[in-house]
Amino acid sequence: MIQNYFKIAWRNLIKNKGYSAINIGGLAVGMAVVLLISLWIYDEVSYNKNHENYDTIALALMHKTENGKTRTRRPMPYPLGNELRAKYSDDFKHVVMSSFYWDYVLSKDNNNLSKYGGFMESDALRMLSLNMIYGDWDGLKKPNSIVISQSTARTFFGSENPVGKHMKIDDKLNTTVTGVFEDLPYNSEFHELEFIAPWELYTISYPWVKEARDKNLWDNNSYKLYVQIADGKTMASVSETIKTVVQDNVPGNNKRSLRELVLYPMKDWHLQSEWKNGVNTGGFIQYVWIFGFIGVFVLGLACINFMNLSTAQSEKRAKEVGVLKSIGSTKKQLIHQFLSESFLVVVFAFIIAVLLVLLVMPAFNALADKHIIFPFNNIFFYLVSVGCIVATSFMAGSYPALYLSSFHPVKVLKGTFKVGKSTTSFRRALVIAQFTISVTLVIGAIVIEKQITYSKNRPIGYQSEGLITISKNTEAYKGKYNTLRNELIKTGTVVEMCEASSPLTDVWSTGGGFNWEGKDPNFVTNMGLFCISHDYGKTIGWDILEGRDFSRAFPTDSTAFVLNETAVNYMGLTDPVGKTIRWGKKKYKVIGVVKDILRESPFEPTKQGVYMINYDNTNFVRLKLNPEKPISEALTTIETVFAKHVPNVPFEFQFVDETFAKKFNTMERIQKLSNLFAFFAIFISCLGLFGLASFMAEQRKKEIGVRKVVGASVFNLWKLLSKDFVKLVVLAIVIATPLAYYGVNSWLNNYTYRTQISWWIFVVAGMGAIGITLLTVSFHSIKAAIANPIKSLRTE
Amino acid sequence: MILQLKDLFKWVNSGGNRVFLLNDIDLTVNEGEFISIMGPSGSGKTTLLNVIGMLDDFNEGEYIFLEEPVHNLKEKHRANLYKEYIGFVFQSYHLIDELTVYENIETPLLYKKHSRAERKAMVADMLDRFNIVGKKDLFPSQLSGGQQQLVGIARALVSSPKLILADEPTGNLNSAQGEEIMQLFKKLNDEGVTIIQVTHSESNAAYGSRTIHLRDGLIVNK
Repeated sequence: MIQNYFKIAWRNLIKNKGYSAINIGGLAVGMAVVLLISLWIYDEVSYNKNHENYDTIALALMHKTENGKTRTRRPMPYPLGNELRAKYSDDFKHVVMSSFYWDYVLSKDNNNLSKYGGFMESDALRMLSLNMIYGDWDGLKKPNSIVISQSTARTFFGSENPVGKHMKIDDKLNTTVTGVFEDLPYNSEFHELEFIAPWELYTISYPWVKEARDKNLWDNNSYKLYVQIADGKTMASVSETIKTVVQDNVPGNNKRSLRELVLYPMKDWHLQSEWKNGVNTGGFIQYVWIFGFIGVFVLGLACINFMNLSTAQSEKRAKEVGVLKSIGSTKKQLIHQFLSESFLVVVFAFIIAVLLVLLVMPAFNALADKHIIFPFNNIFFYLVSVGCIVATSFMAGSYPALYLSSFHPVKVLKGTFKVGKSTTSFRRALVIAQFTISVTLVIGAIVIEKQITYSKNRPIGYQSEGLITISKNTEAYKGKYNTLRNELIKTGTVVEMCEASSPLTDVWSTGGGFNWEGKDPNFVTNMGLFCISHDYGKTIGWDILEGRDFSRAFPTDSTAFVLNETAVNYMGLTDPVGKTIRWGKKKYKVIGVVKDILRESPFEPTKQGVYMINYDNTNFVRLKLNPEKPISEALTTIETVFAKHVPNVPFEFQFVDETFAKKFNTMERIQKLSNLFAFFAIFISCLGLFGLASFMAEQRKKEIGVRKVVGASVFNLWKLLSKDFVKLVVLAIVIATPLAYYGVNSWLNNYTYRTQISWWIFVVAGMGAIGITLLTVSFHSIKAAIANPIKSLRTE
Repeated sequence: MILQLKDLFKWVNSGGNRVFLLNDIDLTVNEGEFISIMGPSGSGKTTLLNVIGMLDDFNEGEYIFLEEPVHNLKEKHRANLYKEYIGFVFQSYHLIDELTVYENIETPLLYKKHSRAERKAMVADMLDRFNIVGKKDLFPSQLSGGQQQLVGIARALVSSPKLILADEPTGNLNSAQGEEIMQLFKKLNDEGVTIIQVTHSESNAAYGSRTIHLRDGLIVNK
């Protein structure tokens, strides 16, 4: 019996090739999109899950409230780790202080490579449950040890066991390798880590860290703190317990800012990374929800189209039903027959979908910046797939099955059978729903595009062409400034050189304690601090709005400030140049005001900042290349100069404009994904429309014939048939407009620097939808309109 | 003379054989005539009517309609010609189910350049003439067969054609209703409308001024 069902089903598919192709193809595309979205979502929610203690690990954050505004930051004071260990030992299993990670130079003999890593307390390995290939989780117990990643071990030692070998960090810290950990997967927060060195080594090697320990500096926030809470404790309760620890310990004169500790659980790190006024406002999770919704919607669409096309075929199938019923088939058997057919179609579609996904996986990974592998060896995947196939077969097949099997045999055989009207209004509602979502997605995609363009056109405040940055990560640079600068300029490849404490694309250091005439005594200051050399302005080409740049001609410039525009507004200065600002115990004179430099998020306002001359506190060398020299040649020349004066340091540099462009990475990725999904939503909606158009044209065949006989032209008829669909789509646009407005408006509200939601976006999306509708339905309406009416009006 | 067919052939090729649907038709119809076309099933009656109505084309011969050579005309010109001068009446009425009586009658006027007011007047005139004013807001399914055919004829007449082509107009009606419709045709013919009808019934054919017998696409007598 079952065999017979499949036989008839198979022959039916073969007989109506065009129809089967649209049906299977449409369903396959829909399923492929759903598969991709599911894999993407699965990947997004699996971040950090490779860590055994995923549920109990947290990072400490600090809500700092000043002047009524709360900012949430990572840096913690040095003594916090010891304090928590001493007084709250019941609440924590592990307390791990850590440096911020950065590129250091690791050397073995004369092999020097820049590697990314940091210094952590010894419990780190156990807490993160790293897979140790050599050594064990106690590897960081001795102060002069180092634990390296497998790939780092391979680059330095080949296949040799490196344990016991000597390595140097930044050419000055001597260490012995005590362990090798397996590289972390790319969806771990720590996956870029190439080495971990002991916290103790950090403390004794860097004077400013040592000072923080020795003087118990509670108000210097420069470190990270990871914890694993004790078994049986909850994240919320522990977080509440330690809330005031920092505030209780900071010295009195700093108490005007309110510091509140909060534990930020590992499970939220990847998807819920945004904080506003001390409250977690989500983050990437919003895109997971949006794309998840699109996925469900696309599958729904594909199923609806399947139902639509199947019922549209019903007049053709009606005769078969009549014959089967008149020779004794029961309704139940017919339902089985039609469900087998839909099952067959769904299985085909699924196979094609899997093939499609395999085909586009590399492209999709590139687009989404992922390393998703098709889960062929995951039993769970097969269970879900089989479940989905069965569910989809029922969802897509039940309506046609019930509908077709209920035909009355006498009526259908006599030929007086007509498909009912109720199914038409159901279909209309579906088309409206499809287009409402499609138009909303298109509007969303346009707004994302507009926001990116808008932010990219934002003035950055300097000339980024030919600017390169070299990290000064070893002592070897000490005292070489003038030599390097003179020699580089002499080669003609470099126009100017400077040094600075922050990258041009970030603010590395902020500080308070500023005072000036007319300042409200309750106002707690916080500004970006930029230590620079005299040639900074000339190198980056900043815009001086008032006053002058720093100059060697004025020795007093060692106690001078250059402010950015925002700082002038922030401090409320009316005639800033010449004013005196007290900072700590020193007095500084404002000598100039520069245009804001866009350093942080291109979607947020620039932070108020002060520039000062300080050669001892710089982390970067920055060069302006001579635009008339070929870049590769210039770089070779520069490298030889560096090799001469700063030996044993790998020459590594970054173009400032490339680093800047990375600020748009996430948004551009979201843009690409939403474009892709919007495209498929439209494509599938069009398939649905195409099916509906064929159905309507079939249904109105007689009417079209009559109208043609009484004088309607092809154009009249095209207009008549298309009008109905345009009406539906216009209705969809009307519904989509406020929906999309609400959506994009709340999305844009995430950003302070945001584009306008212009009226033309809605017009473009609407016109686009109408245009696509006309194109889609025209095939059927023109076909119906040019058909000879004597065929449709023949009286049998 | 309203139309003339000269040496007209229409055929289809089926399995290597040429099957003639219309075979060497010569026919002249004068204004004011009421012609009945008779013949057995498959003799080509409906085909001939469709060719005259310009809904179907032919393979060879000439067709002159109101001094215009239809065989040489472009599609658009031909459409204008029949839109202007020809009205159709069908056996199964072919009213549009979704439209009311009023709207059905109005349909042909929509495809010509008539203002709304003009259309209203013309439709009202028709409703009046056929005594169906009271039924103008009903849908076809609410009418009897005879009433539906009345509406069909009203629709054919609303744009004042010179020629009415009727394909078995009484085929779906009972004898009393059929009688009524034939009386109406007679009356219209008396008012000067040229009518060509296809019929199976001798008594219906008797209303006409002339009968043409077809067999296998050939006119067997004149």
